[in-house]
Amino acid sequence: MSLLKLEALSKKFGDHWALKEIDFSIDEGEIVGLVGPNGAGKTTLFNLITCRHRATSGRILFANKETTLCKPHEIQKLGISRTFQSSRPFAKMSTLDNVVVGRVFGGEFHLFAQSTDIDSAKQLLELVGLAHKEQTPAGDLTLSEQRRLDLARALATQPRLLLLDEVVAGFSPVAVKQAVDLVRRVRQRGVTLFIIDHFLSLSLRVSDRLLALDHGEKVAEGRPQEVMRNREVIRAYLGMRHEDEPHGA
Amino acid sequence: MRKKETASQKAIQQQVAWAAPVLGLVLLLLLPVFARYNDYVLQVFTHALLLATLALAWNILGVSGSISLGHAAFFGAGAYTSALLSLDLGVSPWATIPLGGVLAAGIAAIMGLFCLRLRGAYFALATLAFVEIPKVITDNWDGLTRGSLGLVGLPGLPSLRLGSYHFDMSGSLVGSYYFVLGYGLVLLVLVTLLFRSNLGLALQAIREEEVAAEAIGIQVQKYRLLSLLLSAFFTGITGACYGHLIRYLEPGLVYGLHFSAIPMIFAICGGRFTILGPALAALVLYPVDQFIFHPLLPAGHEFLYGAVIILAILFMPSGVWGQLRKGHFVSIKTGSIE
Amino acid sequence: MWTTVLVSGITLGSFYTLVALGFALIFGVTHTFNLAHGELLVLAGYVAYWLWKTYGVSLLFTFPAAILATLVVCLILQRLFSRLREPMEMNSIVLSFGLAILLQNGMLFFFSGDYRLIRVPTFNQGLHFNTLYLSYGQLTLLALSLLVIGLLYFLMRHTFLGKALRATIQDREAASLAGINVGGMGVLAFAIGAILIGLAGPLYGCVHYLYPTAGLQATLLAITITIFAGVGRIRTLILGGWILGFAESGAVVLLGASWRELVGAVMLITLLALRPQGIFEREQ
Repeated sequence: MSLLKLEALSKKFGDHWALKEIDFSIDEGEIVGLVGPNGAGKTTLFNLITCRHRATSGRILFANKETTLCKPHEIQKLGISRTFQSSRPFAKMSTLDNVVVGRVFGGEFHLFAQSTDIDSAKQLLELVGLAHKEQTPAGDLTLSEQRRLDLARALATQPRLLLLDEVVAGFSPVAVKQAVDLVRRVRQRGVTLFIIDHFLSLSLRVSDRLLALDHGEKVAEGRPQEVMRNREVIRAYLGMRHEDEPHGA
Repeated sequence: MRKKETASQKAIQQQVAWAAPVLGLVLLLLLPVFARYNDYVLQVFTHALLLATLALAWNILGVSGSISLGHAAFFGAGAYTSALLSLDLGVSPWATIPLGGVLAAGIAAIMGLFCLRLRGAYFALATLAFVEIPKVITDNWDGLTRGSLGLVGLPGLPSLRLGSYHFDMSGSLVGSYYFVLGYGLVLLVLVTLLFRSNLGLALQAIREEEVAAEAIGIQVQKYRLLSLLLSAFFTGITGACYGHLIRYLEPGLVYGLHFSAIPMIFAICGGRFTILGPALAALVLYPVDQFIFHPLLPAGHEFLYGAVIILAILFMPSGVWGQLRKGHFVSIKTGSIE
Repeated sequence: MWTTVLVSGITLGSFYTLVALGFALIFGVTHTFNLAHGELLVLAGYVAYWLWKTYGVSLLFTFPAAILATLVVCLILQRLFSRLREPMEMNSIVLSFGLAILLQNGMLFFFSGDYRLIRVPTFNQGLHFNTLYLSYGQLTLLALSLLVIGLLYFLMRHTFLGKALRATIQDREAASLAGINVGGMGVLAFAIGAILIGLAGPLYGCVHYLYPTAGLQATLLAITITIFAGVGRIRTLILGGWILGFAESGAVVLLGASWRELVGAVMLITLLALRPQGIFEREQ
């Protein structure tokens, strides 16, 4: 059964179609990679799913409920969380508080943080390898630590679907490998993942399926190997447009 | 090696964070004794405490990242509400002081309607302009407020009877001092609870990264409105106390720029990301102003406030107390008083 | 009666535009708000008052001294602003608010809290056209305001520096790519802004009472007109000034003089509520 379903989803900024007629669905428990060159519309798609932007046309269904017109905090309550391309920690708050606040507002609201909230936040910090930094102000973390904090904070809201926007961009091969493990562990917690991954370093290794976009249009979907053999995808990644195509190719 | 140093520094900071407020509290409690019941000293510290509550109340909004230049609107509304109810209807100040807070919160709700969609600088400008509205209305509604003539002969601060004990809060300066100190401590406890609660976490998250706060399910506008209302409520109560303390009101006085500027200055200089910073700044700066600069420069001594805010925003944007706490701002977990 | 509103609206509005020009120019070029704008205006007025009262200097010759005073303070303010961290708009508000308090207390020290007015005897005489009465004071105010606005318009439109300033206002990044020294433009904006305030201040002292805290009203009206106009359009600034002038004159006639202060505040809040993202965002 599909958890997220996009029907003919389109977004227009001014005269420019950022996304055009996207049909796609993600099943519960899947890891799906969203790939494509810069400007393909990947982050725009995330912004539509999380209702930061409103679709120009088309529909979004999450768990069989239409969410096209929801507000950002409502989407979160239904069970969709995300991380950001450039991480956005709450810089003057401690690393632990960053995760606790996700936990508190993602779940049932209490006026004061419960010890269970704090414990589960600590577990999440353990999961992403930041347990030793729990009292450090989040603004003092390194860039890769901030990305992991973003992930822990998003997980703290107990999502069914987690959207990761470029979690490994700029990571070393070792860090990418750690991220691969991390993503698999997240899946074991029963979270469905949708991952933007421009350089494919993460999604080729963990994804069950890929969705490839170029200039706002879907050019391919399917198993990673199939998608990567797709001529359209190769052309998009090599930066060739139809008109550039050599004759007789 | 370096780590050891920072660890010992941290320990010292923790100790300062504990010791300074406790020492301060003891000094404040015993102040009337130290001051040998000197009227002038008591008056100055009563006023300093009142301004500390003003700064604490301002910072309930400040912690969410908004800077208000219009808190005189709430201060004046609270002062006038309590004064008129007690003067014209003879209601006890025990009841009228909270009602002053309620009306101030009502005015904040109207302000929120127009201003809460604004961010940063534009919010500040809107609040600066907003004060003019209650001020001009108070100034012109002669039938209700006596207009620009102002109000005189306000009843003093309410008295407290506990069994055979009778604490006279209005008759003596010492009584007034302890009344304001008591209110200040109550407000400090409330603000500490608020900032350490999940509401406080939400407000800080909104301040740091509004988009991310929304993405984890925080209803940004709801919490911003809530912090504005709470801030206005306590500012209104402070305004009401001020009226009963000096027993005289005038629109230009309570709605003046002074009461908008002062809490902002104390909060930023003390540290608007901390709980105690704003109050500490009030308790230090106001006596310095009154005991040192006022005798030297009877006209123009308040240049001090202009100078300290310029220095703070240039060199210490997180305030003196915030700087001492080195990034350890309000937290649910640290266990320190902040 | 309505002709009186018309005349005083145009006179007042033109003068308001003059008052707002310096604020708008500094804001447009440097993206900083100068909340000490009104205090600078009052300071210029006090300098003129002091020269006129103690040395009997005629109004015309007080302008250079007034300009000198505002120039010194504005250039200091520019130096301070250049050391501020982000967010610039917000921090400039806090810093200049502090400067406003400094100036208020300085003026209280030097000139006391008494209300002062520069009395030019001929300003109270005037001309009658049927029912319409124009005092020489109003005429001078109108003529000088329009003259200065015209000069600035010429400077911005037809000189090299003006074009560089306008380019900076429209797009700072593009301007700096085109080889314009954006930092230098900021200093220039403060200097020209100071001259404009120095010209408006003595006139202000002739039509309004001077007292140390009088500046807030002027600051508010400068903000209102600037927000109304967006940035970089002198013609829209004049329109904004006139609308505010008419609205205030109308309010005085309909409601009484004591409601005048409300007009600018309500107009500013309405403008901000209609344009919540601020000025620059909208134009992107």
